Amino acid sequence: MIPRKPDTTEIAIVGAGPAGGAAAVTAARAGASVTVLDEYARPGGQYYKQPVHTDGGPSYPHSLASTIQQGRELLEGLSHPGIDLQCNTLAWNISADELVLDLYSPAGARALQAQRIILCAGATERAVPFPGWTLPGVIMAGAGQLMLKAHGLLPGKTFLLAGTGPLLQLAAVQLLEAGAQIAALVELRSRTEFLKSAAHLWRYPDKLGQGFATLQKLLQARVPIKFGHTIAQALGETEVSGAVIMRVDGDGQPIPGSETRFEVDTICLNYGFTPATELPRIAGCEQYFDQDYATYATATNDSLETSIAGILAAGETRGMGGAEVAVIEGQLAGSVAAQQLGFSPPFDQNGLSDKRLQARAVAASLGKMFQLKPGLCALAADDVPVCRCEEVSAGEVRAAIRNGVVQLNQLKPWTRAGMGRCQGRICGDILRQIVAAETGLPLSEIQPFTARAPVKPVPLEVVGGPVAETDTLTWEDHVGGYGVART
Amino acid sequence: MKAQRISKIEHGTPVSLIVNGQEIQAQAGESIAAALLAAGQRQISQNSKSRAPRGYFCGMGMCFECVATVDGVPNVRTCITEVTPGCVVETGS
Repeated sequence: MIPRKPDTTEIAIVGAGPAGGAAAVTAARAGASVTVLDEYARPGGQYYKQPVHTDGGPSYPHSLASTIQQGRELLEGLSHPGIDLQCNTLAWNISADELVLDLYSPAGARALQAQRIILCAGATERAVPFPGWTLPGVIMAGAGQLMLKAHGLLPGKTFLLAGTGPLLQLAAVQLLEAGAQIAALVELRSRTEFLKSAAHLWRYPDKLGQGFATLQKLLQARVPIKFGHTIAQALGETEVSGAVIMRVDGDGQPIPGSETRFEVDTICLNYGFTPATELPRIAGCEQYFDQDYATYATATNDSLETSIAGILAAGETRGMGGAEVAVIEGQLAGSVAAQQLGFSPPFDQNGLSDKRLQARAVAASLGKMFQLKPGLCALAADDVPVCRCEEVSAGEVRAAIRNGVVQLNQLKPWTRAGMGRCQGRICGDILRQIVAAETGLPLSEIQPFTARAPVKPVPLEVVGGPVAETDTLTWEDHVGGYGVART
Repeated sequence: MKAQRISKIEHGTPVSLIVNGQEIQAQAGESIAAALLAAGQRQISQNSKSRAPRGYFCGMGMCFECVATVDGVPNVRTCITEVTPGCVVETGS
């Protein structure tokens, strides 16, 4: 790579969602110079995404208006003079030794060196593979919410929502309020499991109240809620025209003969989330297995410092927790980083730490309630693509496992699963579930794919360094990473 | 299947873009994917191996299923790229 002199800042923050936004505002108010990098055109992440057309006023469905308002209050803080907000900017690589981030934006490639880096990269929604899951019209539930929240657009007319957890119900209410027909909400948990787990939340009456209020709205609107069921098939030739659901047993295994068919044009999925940990893993930050969510996440101490000096992590990158946890952790990480650089943060860190532990405890309870179930892997029949990019079928994956593959990094060269443009973001966690189901190994022993730069595809000349008109790139300039050529 | 613009929400100023040679109406500030869905075009790319249709899926630039060629630049994620007046979009590759 051609050496270049990086820009400098005191605190670099990756991600301008709830965690990154809160970290930036906190550190800047303490007096630090902060640079916030966000891949998207506008700050807010997914949760605090703001409407592109309007101010999100009273015309938005009520359940969206309050989130939009909360987000706006946080994002207004980003106009602080100590904050340099750089949108459309992908941090695609990190150097742990020098605390340098490699950046790519439409304006070109740059590097940024910081005294502290706070990683707040958020999370990815999780789906399970089933026949038809690649058809246009099958979308993530959060993707449906984004169309509604950011664009005032209903991505279909008649919806079926399937998965497990509170997001599905919230998304269903938001779609309803915007005028959608909901054919069914398909929840993996049985009614008994659902009520039992709700009982575990008795210590958190606010959460319980919110949950029941959402459920009540669905019942009042006579939305059929199919507890103990899963989506089993998306029907259609070139786009969704229907859905088949099936009842599941206690392990999540679909029960033959229990199929019910719905005429729908859109299927929204949410089977939980996976923390975005590419940058911390490239940096070498220690990862831990989060038992509550059964996913790997970035380990930190109580001050949110990772195992690498100078790098902190907050929000979902640190472990699934939701927006409330993310904001508190952002404030804490911003305070810690600012204090380490000699500034006086506006928060009492002990108070924040207490709030953080309480919010994390609620998140842990929710995580335990809505884990994936191993029997769902049966939905991925041998001819169903698991890796959507490379179209690697579940059968090819199972054959590799029968031949002795037990880790994702072995599966990758064997089958090409995870080698496509999404770099394993969509299939990685599902492949861990399939390996666990086939081998009997606990999920904690199946490591995610090794993360490599660039964390998202970028043009080759970005990975190879700046290219003058007269320069000829050699193969050695290219092999540092996998890029998508721009022309 | 056309995505529905929610009537009670105020929308942006109209802009037009060229999709596969046809002019479609969109609104300033929205993503190319939103404009395509509102125009009823759900298939945005096709899988490079099977040529199976693919469309808007994760909505947040993670899955690369909604990529299209925009103003000559291939592999642009339409879900996180805003429309610009007159932009030329080629889908289906």
